[in-house]
Amino acid sequence: MVKQASVLADLESIVGRDHAGAPQDSYQVDGLAPQVAVRPGSYEEVANVLRYARSEGLAVIPWGGGTMMHAGNVPSRYDIALSLSRLDQLIEHEPADLTVTCQAGMALTQLQRHLGASGQLLPLGPFPEAEATIGGILAANASSAVRYAYGAPRDVTIGLRVVTADGHLTRAGGKVVKNVAGYDLCKLYIGSLGTLGVIVEATFKVAPVPKAQSAVSLAFPTPAAACSFGTELLRRGLSLRAMQLLGPLRDSAIPWRLDLDLAGSPLAVQRSQKEITALAAGGVASPVTPDAGQTAPATLACKLSVLPSQLPTLIARLTELDDLPAIEALPTIGVLRASWTQIDDAEATLERVRSIASTLNTSCIVERCPIELKRKIDVFGDAPPSFDLMRRVKEQFDPTSVLSPGRFLGRL
Amino acid sequence: MASGGTVRLWAVVASKLVRDLQAAVGARWVLHAPEDLLVYEYDATIERGLPDAVVLPDSARQVAAAVRISTKHGVAVTARGAGTGLSGGAIPCEGGVVIVTSRMNRILQLDVENRLAVVEPGVINLDISQQAAPHGLYFAPDPSSQKACTIGGNVAENAGGPHCLRYGTTTNHVLALEIVTADGQIVWLGSPAADPPGYDLTGVVVGSEGTLAIVTKAVVRLLHKPECTITLLAIFDEVGQASEAVSAIIGEGVLPAALEMMDKNTMEAVEAAVHAGYPPDAGAVLLIEVEGLQEEAQEESDAVQAICRRLAAREVRVGLSEEERERLWAGRKGALGALGRLAPSYYILDGVVPRSRLPSVLSGVYEACDRHGFRVANVFHAGDGNLHPNVMFDERVPGTTERVLQLGEEIMRLCVDAGGSITGEHGVGYEKRSYMSWIFTEDDLEVMSRLKAAFGAAERFNPGKVFPTSKGCGEVSSRMRAAIAKVGPDAYV
Repeated sequence: MVKQASVLADLESIVGRDHAGAPQDSYQVDGLAPQVAVRPGSYEEVANVLRYARSEGLAVIPWGGGTMMHAGNVPSRYDIALSLSRLDQLIEHEPADLTVTCQAGMALTQLQRHLGASGQLLPLGPFPEAEATIGGILAANASSAVRYAYGAPRDVTIGLRVVTADGHLTRAGGKVVKNVAGYDLCKLYIGSLGTLGVIVEATFKVAPVPKAQSAVSLAFPTPAAACSFGTELLRRGLSLRAMQLLGPLRDSAIPWRLDLDLAGSPLAVQRSQKEITALAAGGVASPVTPDAGQTAPATLACKLSVLPSQLPTLIARLTELDDLPAIEALPTIGVLRASWTQIDDAEATLERVRSIASTLNTSCIVERCPIELKRKIDVFGDAPPSFDLMRRVKEQFDPTSVLSPGRFLGRL
Repeated sequence: MASGGTVRLWAVVASKLVRDLQAAVGARWVLHAPEDLLVYEYDATIERGLPDAVVLPDSARQVAAAVRISTKHGVAVTARGAGTGLSGGAIPCEGGVVIVTSRMNRILQLDVENRLAVVEPGVINLDISQQAAPHGLYFAPDPSSQKACTIGGNVAENAGGPHCLRYGTTTNHVLALEIVTADGQIVWLGSPAADPPGYDLTGVVVGSEGTLAIVTKAVVRLLHKPECTITLLAIFDEVGQASEAVSAIIGEGVLPAALEMMDKNTMEAVEAAVHAGYPPDAGAVLLIEVEGLQEEAQEESDAVQAICRRLAAREVRVGLSEEERERLWAGRKGALGALGRLAPSYYILDGVVPRSRLPSVLSGVYEACDRHGFRVANVFHAGDGNLHPNVMFDERVPGTTERVLQLGEEIMRLCVDAGGSITGEHGVGYEKRSYMSWIFTEDDLEVMSRLKAAFGAAERFNPGKVFPTSKGCGEVSSRMRAAIAKVGPDAYV
């Protein structure tokens, strides 16, 4: 703190006076505030900020739209917030190539607007927050229900430009859809939560906007019924873009809702809708109108991943808890989010959730929890067998822990 | 490996390395007689390197033991699947031990409910789809060598194939890997369940060309077979028209499962070999596959036909039944073998360009080949922009090989200058190490080398591959000469 004034002055000399400042309440991570927030205007400035931080032994946390900053462990140190908000430009979009390159600070919503004008889309999201940026989505490996059809961020990203912890601007992958030159470092940076490098630019495969679209919601008495319905739709290869299971809806005899997003060629969507309706009528599902869903931010939220066949069991166990969670799940993928808006004892509930996870041999990542609890735990859970290799990767990529120290699995 | 081989072993004085390996995996599964080693000196192309010993382990534990023994003796380890690779990935550039995965060829689990398979690295690509077929499932990556190539090799090279246009390459279909590290540890990376916590080490081991780890098990994703598949063959007078049709198909929002092109020289060779029924004066054909629900495939098929006709296709043939479709594919699948008829040798290139640059880069390729006085046959994954020019030549004519290599380099330059890459699916291997610096800076490569350091691999696994270095398998040009001659009718793209 003694050094704060000189740190600010030094950073001002890198990014300009207008783009560095001592933040008041903004840019906090888990209650920690940085000494300085900087908004570099070029990749070179990002590199210079990191070189400076490294030489001064300061810790940097990259900042996109700030919508996922609750993810990860409590940082062990935090001196500089590195905002990418000024690096928000579209670099290249050639519709005939079905690829797009943009800077990491660009909001996904903004990029979608641009692509939409050419009848294309980036198959990620939508995410509830309009501010979510490309860089943040990649760092957090955030995905949505459309991964049913398109895959997750690692499947659609073909190139990245990344500033390394020692301040070098580097490239991974390229700008073509098929490329096996060199190690695929894109995979490594995606989901690394800003601990291996600062993503400043990304190139993606894009997809044509479907010619037809439609939505169906069905209610089911049990999660198992909904999941097996979902599996049947997958088996039939119906034109689905997304499938999400929500519940349990309170005070309802049929408390599980399956939201289906149909997309594709008009005739195929039409037929899919017909088949879904017929299948539902012949079984245990009934059509419902989706409501807006909960809006209050969760006090505790956990992401659990299982094999799709285990999902009904997992949901059954979670709904036996005293504190009933709200559940959103992707049936054919096996990803589930359980969240609690009001909870008496988050620690006790989490302990029970983790014990369920461990019985089913599944991962359990705490996405949101009270800060006092967060300080006590590793939100990613137990280290996997390959943790030693992960630690060595961190040591190689960021030997002095400049980048987001402590936030990753195993407090890397 | 026959008992005759076992007998021969005793006639050769075994080194300490060989004796240690024999103790670990059984004498029968260690080859060290010069005549046995020769078989493992090459793959489908480029390089040659004689191993000191070849080991055929039966389990991850035996692989780990072989790695530890190699380390103890200070020799490198190179993993080998079926040896169908086109970048020298399985060639032991610095000798040492070659670990052959052919005995580790079991499909350990076929989980129909969760649409995944757990397989050993020596399992042949097509075998997975055949095993899964009764359940309506298949493994999507389909390199043309899929009847021979192994999953271990597919993972190492991040293999592609005609259908990766829609479904992605191997990397999009691998969920978890069991690996042996350079220090002989057996470690699982990733998880059969989605989004495992931690860095995506599975994603970086796929495509690392055997330089980071040796894969001993893979969990792969299976897909449901589509309800309907329609194959179209569109015949054009000019290559230019065909490549415009490729851009139009992609640009108008149709995403076919496969979109392949063959040019006149390829068709000529194919016609002579498999009588695919191509008109002798046609300039190019496109092979297009659309699939999905009946309605969707039909709609896309109609759209593709309309585009091709608009762009002056002289004929569009449609294959609906399995038999009709196979007939249309026969020419494409037999293309490379057929090329062997046109010239004593040919050199297969692998470059990628943005799809919109396909027409201009293709004419650049023809221009360069003309200028150097070589015939070229183009047969490639047009929908991905993944070019495979096959340069035909006679290596017996002095100086020819050098000129072919020069031409190959020029063509790679064209791809890179168009914003593309030096390899789309064959890998960097040994051949393209020096081109890496065309698309990556020293800083980029230095970061990649950090990953190698993290895996503790240094030069212990498959040395001399991927990274530009002056070290290698000796004198390049003389080696390349021997290598190019290897590329014959058995090669695939």
